[in-house]
Amino acid sequence: MMNPDASQANLLAFHQLAVGYDSRAVLSGLTQTVAAGQFVALLGPNGAGKTTLLRTLAGLLPPLAGEVSLGGRALAGLTPAEIARTLAVVLTERHAPAMLSALDLVYLGRTPHTGFLGRIGPQDRERAAWALELVGAGDLARRPMDQLSDGERQKVMLARALAQEPRVILLDEPTLHLDVKHRLEVMTILRRLCRQQGIAVVASLHDVDLALRLADVVGLVGRGGISAWGAPEKELTAASLAALYGLEQARFSPHLGVMELTAEPGREPVFVVCGGGSGAGLLRALAKQGFALKTGVLHEHDLDCLVAQSLGAQMVTQAPFQPLAEEAFRLACRAMAGCLAVVDSGFPLGDENRGNLNLLRQAAATGLPVLSLRSPEELARMLGDDAAAWRCCLDSTQVLDQMLQLGTASSLG
Amino acid sequence: MSEAMILPGAYFAQSSRRAGWLYTVLVVLVLVALVLNLGHGSLDIGWSELVRLLLDGPNDDPRSLVVWNIRLPRALAALWGGACLAVSGLLLQVYFRNPIVGPFILGISSGASLMVALVMLTTLSLGLAALSPYLVTLAAFAGSVGALLLVVGIARRMRQGVVLLIIGLMIGYLTSAVTSLLVAFAEAERLKGFTLWSLGSFSGYRWQELQMVMLLGGSLLVGVYGLSKPLNAFLLGEDYAQSMGVNVRTFRVLIIFFSCALAALVTATAGPVAFIGLAVPHMARLSLGTADNRLLLPAAALTGGVITVLCDLVARSLFAPVETPLSAVTSFLGAPVVILLMLKRKAAL
Repeated sequence: MMNPDASQANLLAFHQLAVGYDSRAVLSGLTQTVAAGQFVALLGPNGAGKTTLLRTLAGLLPPLAGEVSLGGRALAGLTPAEIARTLAVVLTERHAPAMLSALDLVYLGRTPHTGFLGRIGPQDRERAAWALELVGAGDLARRPMDQLSDGERQKVMLARALAQEPRVILLDEPTLHLDVKHRLEVMTILRRLCRQQGIAVVASLHDVDLALRLADVVGLVGRGGISAWGAPEKELTAASLAALYGLEQARFSPHLGVMELTAEPGREPVFVVCGGGSGAGLLRALAKQGFALKTGVLHEHDLDCLVAQSLGAQMVTQAPFQPLAEEAFRLACRAMAGCLAVVDSGFPLGDENRGNLNLLRQAAATGLPVLSLRSPEELARMLGDDAAAWRCCLDSTQVLDQMLQLGTASSLG
Repeated sequence: MSEAMILPGAYFAQSSRRAGWLYTVLVVLVLVALVLNLGHGSLDIGWSELVRLLLDGPNDDPRSLVVWNIRLPRALAALWGGACLAVSGLLLQVYFRNPIVGPFILGISSGASLMVALVMLTTLSLGLAALSPYLVTLAAFAGSVGALLLVVGIARRMRQGVVLLIIGLMIGYLTSAVTSLLVAFAEAERLKGFTLWSLGSFSGYRWQELQMVMLLGGSLLVGVYGLSKPLNAFLLGEDYAQSMGVNVRTFRVLIIFFSCALAALVTATAGPVAFIGLAVPHMARLSLGTADNRLLLPAAALTGGVITVLCDLVARSLFAPVETPLSAVTSFLGAPVVILLMLKRKAAL
């Protein structure tokens, strides 16, 4: 009898594992463990070997070296039926057999539990219904598989895996080709399986943001091995992902949990005064059009600051919750000079960022065009007679139009 | 969710009720086809007389001799042969997950033909002459296994469905090329028997051959039914089947053994018969409305039997007294099915 505690913590483990086809190793020297209830996301570029690793862990492909253990026992020593009662897979192949209902398909998941002729008994019916309910596909039971959408089919395939009553589920790109709704649904179901059923889930994913939000552990698969294995909050950094995927034009923002495309400045610089999240959309829109971004004075860790950083903007920053320092103000003024225009995002004004209003006044005074997203009334209230020099814009589209006009004018002039 | 709520919609459950009806209808059809086949011919025998002749048992009455020694073995052979071919085709379709395969298309029948030609046309049989049906069957089995192993070996490298068909066709061409070489150099007296055989017909059956086909075919069919659970798991492909506990390696060997043995048994005794193995599984699938092999296997066997007995009837009565080769009749049935399937599945192939 195996020690139950050990088998919980090392439900799925591999030691010095090398995986590949035809004795050519794609990944080697892999050693990790997966505990019950853990959600592991495998990230890595196409062709890195995620599928090969998953197939080896599932026992579908013999390891080239090392060993895999399941519930504390070596996978190589288990029969396919023994493995099937502990481990289930969901593969990328979505071939839907004709003349098979969703329920029939889930019944197939009972294969390792039924008798010689595969008779479906009361207990099998119960488990199949339970599995379909768990993935929210109870209403699909009677529908023919070849008439389901990709998303519905994927949920039924998950139910089929669950009908095996596994302790481990391995999934190869479960969100591939799914729309946003089903992508989130499938991921939420997987999360629930880990939390409520204590099932260990290992899934290869392409969505870095979903991995960050849902996984307990991320494994970064690339360059012949697993380069990192641990909490996504720790392992998913701009640097680790840039190295993993060979990113040059994009940068991962761990705080925002998204990939931002680094701007490719082809146009004149523009200075954006923003803060409190008021400038995030504007910054992205300007970067998309190829304007070189400068911004300030931003408080560190402000949303706008994080966005500007991931877009590769030139920034003047200030420690959080501090009023603007003289030094920052002077740096910002210097950065502003030579810009095509200065844009006011309509940021909320408070004691700590009142200096930014002065920055805008300064810009207007030196003759730079100032585009503002505030209403004329608000500007009049804030600036009095000075408001006449500022150009009001309704939204970022108008700002862009104005910028493009200014750009044309300056290149002609 | 209660049991009653899910059951009515499930194909498997729904179909088992439908299957009961279908089996009954098929058994009636088998009897009708047999009566038609036994009664019809150069000597027409009404069904009441037929019943009397059958109940009286074999005797010296010429009409009794026709029924007992010629027509009954032939009809029963067609029945069993059709069942064997249909089941062989169903196995191959599930294993390759390709609706357009069958023992004939994959070159299994051609492989069997080649070996039969070797035995019948050359002196390899070493005067074991008299050509025991078992020897010919064994040779046919060896040939069909050889052909299928070739197909499997190549298909494992290239997974598209079309590739499989092309490989099957090419192996078919290769083996018939060798066969025609053997024919070219064969002695005239040996050739006659082979030519008759190669046209495909159940006419040559005597009780000795029939006994073998019924015995071996019957036990093979029973054995295949024992594979219905892993066959169902294979509906999702080899990887899924293994992940659900099927020992894929063993299963692959069993599939190859059973599909080849069934096809070889028929080919050895009746010659190559086209398309029964391909078209009949689809008929069974469509009439049952399920992919569940536990229900499909008996239905395919019964349908194969009925269709083949009827085709045999058509083959010998269409241009009587000249007999049309059986494959000519079955091709008229099967070729359109293949074309229809191709058209319907153009995206998947």
